[in-house]
Amino acid sequence: MWGERLAEIFFLGMKNLLRNKLRSFLTMLGMIFGVGSVIAMLSVGAGARHEILSRIQELGICNIIINSVQPPEETKAEDIAWMSHYGLTFDDADYIESTIPTVKKLLRVNLVKQRISYGSTRIEASVLGVEPEHLEMFGLDVCRGRRFNMIDSATCARVCIIRKDLVKQLKTVDDPLGMVLKIGRRSFQVIGVLADEQFRSHTRKALAIDDRSQEVYIPYSSSMRTFGTVTYFQKTGSREISEVELDQIIVQAESSDKVLPTSLMTAAMLKNFHEKKDYEIVVPLELLQQSEETQQIFNVVMVLIASISLVVGGIGIANIMLATITERTREIGIRRALGAQRKDIMIQFLTETVAIAAVGGLLGALFGVVAILGIVEFTQWKALIEPHYIIISLGISCTVGILFGIFPARRAAFMDPIAALRHE
Amino acid sequence: MISMEQVLVKLEKVGKKYGIGTAALTVLDDIELSIDKGEFVGFVGASGSGKTTLMNILGCLDRPSEGKYFLLGDDISSLSDDRLSRIRNQRIGFVFQSFNLIPELTVLENVEVPLFYKKTPRKKRKAKCLELLDAVGLSERTTHQPAQLSGGECQRVAIARALVNEPTMLLADEPTGNLDSRSGMDILKLFHDLHRSGKSILIVTHNLEIAAGLPRVVELRDGRVLSDRAQRPAAKAVEA
Repeated sequence: MWGERLAEIFFLGMKNLLRNKLRSFLTMLGMIFGVGSVIAMLSVGAGARHEILSRIQELGICNIIINSVQPPEETKAEDIAWMSHYGLTFDDADYIESTIPTVKKLLRVNLVKQRISYGSTRIEASVLGVEPEHLEMFGLDVCRGRRFNMIDSATCARVCIIRKDLVKQLKTVDDPLGMVLKIGRRSFQVIGVLADEQFRSHTRKALAIDDRSQEVYIPYSSSMRTFGTVTYFQKTGSREISEVELDQIIVQAESSDKVLPTSLMTAAMLKNFHEKKDYEIVVPLELLQQSEETQQIFNVVMVLIASISLVVGGIGIANIMLATITERTREIGIRRALGAQRKDIMIQFLTETVAIAAVGGLLGALFGVVAILGIVEFTQWKALIEPHYIIISLGISCTVGILFGIFPARRAAFMDPIAALRHE
Repeated sequence: MISMEQVLVKLEKVGKKYGIGTAALTVLDDIELSIDKGEFVGFVGASGSGKTTLMNILGCLDRPSEGKYFLLGDDISSLSDDRLSRIRNQRIGFVFQSFNLIPELTVLENVEVPLFYKKTPRKKRKAKCLELLDAVGLSERTTHQPAQLSGGECQRVAIARALVNEPTMLLADEPTGNLDSRSGMDILKLFHDLHRSGKSILIVTHNLEIAAGLPRVVELRDGRVLSDRAQRPAAKAVEA
């Protein structure tokens, strides 16, 4: 009964709007831009969030990554040592694996600091010695060839897996599979090609994650056997020799709620064994939480800015409604004489305002989506358009309609019926 | 006394003033009036005599500033705005000089308005309105806009609208004032027919010819009742 009545009032309101198409449209413009910008902001925000989220998920939500870092330069007093020695040790890895109960898996990574070349082409890339499970754990799929297996690591096979990007850089027409790359002075055969990295580098930088599109993977055992732990660098005028036993340890916790305790225990343990802070612990879960907080703040600020235009739109609607009410004073008088109560008049005009706002909101959502598609087309931004934006924009516009419709509607409702009837 | 069945309207020392203190303008003063159900009463008087204000009070659009107004035994002067709206909706049918149809609505929709505020379901509403439009001879014009109708037709739509809620009384303020004499006579005949079928009708006019045809005429001057006389309706007017 009530629904039908409201529908009828709404229908009447829509008819009145259609009678003055141009005016209604101009009235809606504020709403259209306001809601449009809110929707655009939301989808850009959601897009960025989505990208960061999947990036971090790729790092593994249950993982803790421990990197060796070169400690800051020490006092030259003990510079007798001709070779600097720092970073994570084999013992560290063993201790973590054997003593922390929440560790499900531990992977060792050895970074080979050697140049790579193919024929006469020199390639800028880093070589990672990884255990067979590594690729699987990070969800790195080979699009051609195969992953490492136990035999590769048992036999210290000179094989490698490269990124598709790298194949492009080689500028060769040869089949990458079976191709032989030189790492340092040793030859490695390509057995697999990884699918394209789909994330753009600026989010990585924002997250302080290294660009992994330039990585070449070889079995951990092969890297140890072939290159060992000592790195020899020669730069112009100086040379540097350093020994790092393990460049990276990846600890996987049993479940996501065990990640933080595990990272705390690991940190406590490493602190006991290392005098200097020659390692860093990266917890993707924490990164995720941090970036979510940042994103939240960004979203709130953006939506606040966008809502300024909503307020302007609302004022525009209120203004036109006041004019409409003056125009239709006589109608109000007639309706009152025929038995309309104040609330009936109020509902009638409020419905009309909400109808303008709601239609404006829907058009605004459309405008926002079109605008964002345009922006995505011309920039490298990521945007995520979700179906619930329609509900959001309807909600926003109806709220604005009600807020800014109450004043004109009240004014109509409280007109003196006699004066209204006499109004020309 | 007031609860007497057949009393429709009772005014006791009704006065209406605008403004306050010595600057107050007295429009109605000390009006005593009693109208029974089924009466057809004309209100005459020069402009400024207070007949429109009296109509507004009788039509529950306005409240007296002094005295009491009883409509079917209810004291109107003490009712809330919402109650007054409901009384206007269900007991009073208005017919105005300038028709006061809503120009954006069709004839049928205009007649539906009072039923809408009475919360009558849609289907019932339409049936009732078509019936009344048929009764005033406009069943062919239900989907027209008021602007497409002649003055006489507009006034007949307005009468259909006034009757649609089966009100206890019909209030007409100069119903023929904007019409040519031919359609004016038609409308007047419609009122006489309605009166004969038992409707109570109160009509404001300054057309003495019309007044001469009414069974009872109340004459106002300077906000007071100058005369209140019953008269034998002139045969001519009734026949017309």
